Amino acid sequence: MGLLDQETTTRVKNMLADLPAAVKLVVFTDDRHCEYCTEIVQLVTEVAATTDLVSVEIFEIHRDADKARDLHIERAPALAIVGERDYGLRFYGIPSGYEFSTLLHGIHSAGHGHAHLDTQTKAYLDGLKVPVDYQVFVTPTCPYCPRAAVLAIEMAVHSDLVNANIVESAEFPDLANRFSVMGVPLTVINGKERVEGAAPAHMVVDAMRRAMA
Amino acid sequence: MLDFKITEDTSGQGATGGLYDVIIVGGGPAGLTTAIYASRDGMKTLVLERETTGGLAATTELIENYPGFPDGINGMDLMERFRVQAERFGTEVVEFEEVSSVKPVSPGLIEVQTDGGTAYQGKTVVIATGSRPKKLGIPGEDEYYGKGVSYCATCDGPFFKGKTVIIIGAGNSGLQEGLPVLEYAKQVTFIEFLPYSRAEQILQDRVRSHEKSAMLFNYRVTEIRGDSTVTGVVAVDRATNEEHLFPADGVFIYVGYTPYTRFVSDLVELNRWGYIESDAHMRTKVPGLYAIGDVRADNPAQLSVSVGDGTKAALDIREYIQNLK
Ligand SMILES: Cc1cc2nc3c(=O)[nH]c(=O)nc-3n(C[C@H](O)[C@H](O)[C@H](O)COP(=O)(O)OP(=O)(O)OC[C@H]3O[C@@H](n4cnc5c(N)ncnc54)[C@H](O)[C@@H]3O)c2cc1C
Repeated sequence: MGLLDQETTTRVKNMLADLPAAVKLVVFTDDRHCEYCTEIVQLVTEVAATTDLVSVEIFEIHRDADKARDLHIERAPALAIVGERDYGLRFYGIPSGYEFSTLLHGIHSAGHGHAHLDTQTKAYLDGLKVPVDYQVFVTPTCPYCPRAAVLAIEMAVHSDLVNANIVESAEFPDLANRFSVMGVPLTVINGKERVEGAAPAHMVVDAMRRAMA
Repeated sequence: MLDFKITEDTSGQGATGGLYDVIIVGGGPAGLTTAIYASRDGMKTLVLERETTGGLAATTELIENYPGFPDGINGMDLMERFRVQAERFGTEVVEFEEVSSVKPVSPGLIEVQTDGGTAYQGKTVVIATGSRPKKLGIPGEDEYYGKGVSYCATCDGPFFKGKTVIIIGAGNSGLQEGLPVLEYAKQVTFIEFLPYSRAEQILQDRVRSHEKSAMLFNYRVTEIRGDSTVTGVVAVDRATNEEHLFPADGVFIYVGYTPYTRFVSDLVELNRWGYIESDAHMRTKVPGLYAIGDVRADNPAQLSVSVGDGTKAALDIREYIQNLK
């Protein structure tokens, strides 16, 4: 049995039909401990089957440690969404529930390679001199979360200095604890500046300014 | 159980533009119902939604009083169906698009502006923006938002597995959203300002009979305390005026809702709580401008009522547009 029903598969196919460039989904599983690894592999395989332009590569985080290091991935399950270039789009955990939309948005953005952002935000990102680590904590049952995750994706696609790390909080309790995540969405810039809720772009830009100050 | 939702049109096509028969502001149950009727009727229909579609109904775990689902249905799943049904008939949906103003231009032409700077034109516009959770406005509430204070138990409940939780407000929403939290929290205390609960009896019975629940009535919550995260809630017993500190790791606030109407406040009539006055056909005093669902004055804030409102507006719109010609 597939994870995606027929109707969902058709919608995915339609959404990805106009991808102008190929997108690679690079999955890292963990043989030692992983709740949803099988499902993640199956999910991305089903998504990729809807179009010739999306392909899948699968690695194991310990065996393929070099590859993981290349993609700056330190924990699994992880998913790198790589377009013509690597925009730094990473999803940790299974993109289920509302987060399935985030995955599709990531594929779409990586394929198109351009972002929908207002001019002020773009101007700020264009002026960045140092890398920005952009984390968004989410849960699959949170309807407000895709908005925060999608903003991270857009910014990462626009700027080579920004990466987008979206973390399914329930699967990474250690990370959720380290950043005392008690509500989602939670955006964390450079591991210190926090923005709670689905905040507009200018609030995240402010957090970047504070993180860099 | 895993499920996979497509809540957003990632095709990047967005709206086709041009003149719409109906522009619906807000993609909750009310707005999506108008969209189903209007697009099925062949009208060019656009839904603009500031977040993802589904509205407040999507944030609730289990809806048991919406006819047709004898076992109840998850709010998010139900709203997903509303959306698919609207799109099936050609409704265009744009998400993450917040409407910031509505301007009647001439009879049969209303312009809608979004905060992203896009303008859309419609022959009619339907306000279905619903409401958002009210804040208490007490010390600690903003400071600890996301650090133990939350307005969405479905979203954040799982962070409080085995923890002590306080739910402020023992009305329908508070009790309904508290029930699933009771399943995994260590203890859930409901604190209510009134000396009694206004919630449905069936919800009260379920909460009361749960071994991990406690209910406090006639308490005014005055402060949320914490260190780096929430540690407790201060409340005053209104009968004795005594102040108590109740320890808690998490606080969910369900103390009512305020309508999203600021962007039309100079255009339509609002009642004293900010809800829009519209007549039995959902018309506001501006021709071609409608208001439906929770954002309407004197609306009991129920899903089935929103659906009814959405239907009435769509039917009236058909007639209104025919008469324009
Ligand atoms: C916790 C909870 C439990 C509930 N349980 C039940 C139940 O069991 N049974 C029942 O019948 N009812 C229940 N309800 C009530 C029901 O959810 C609401 O009556 C219903 O959602 C109202 O629908 P609506 O479309 O009017 O507004 P909403 O659902 O609030 O939708 C409005 C939409 O408009 C969007 N919006 C707001 N402003 C703008 C803007 N400027 N531009 C664009 N978009 C905008 C919002 O993001 C939102 O998506 C519950 C509500 C809550 C909160």
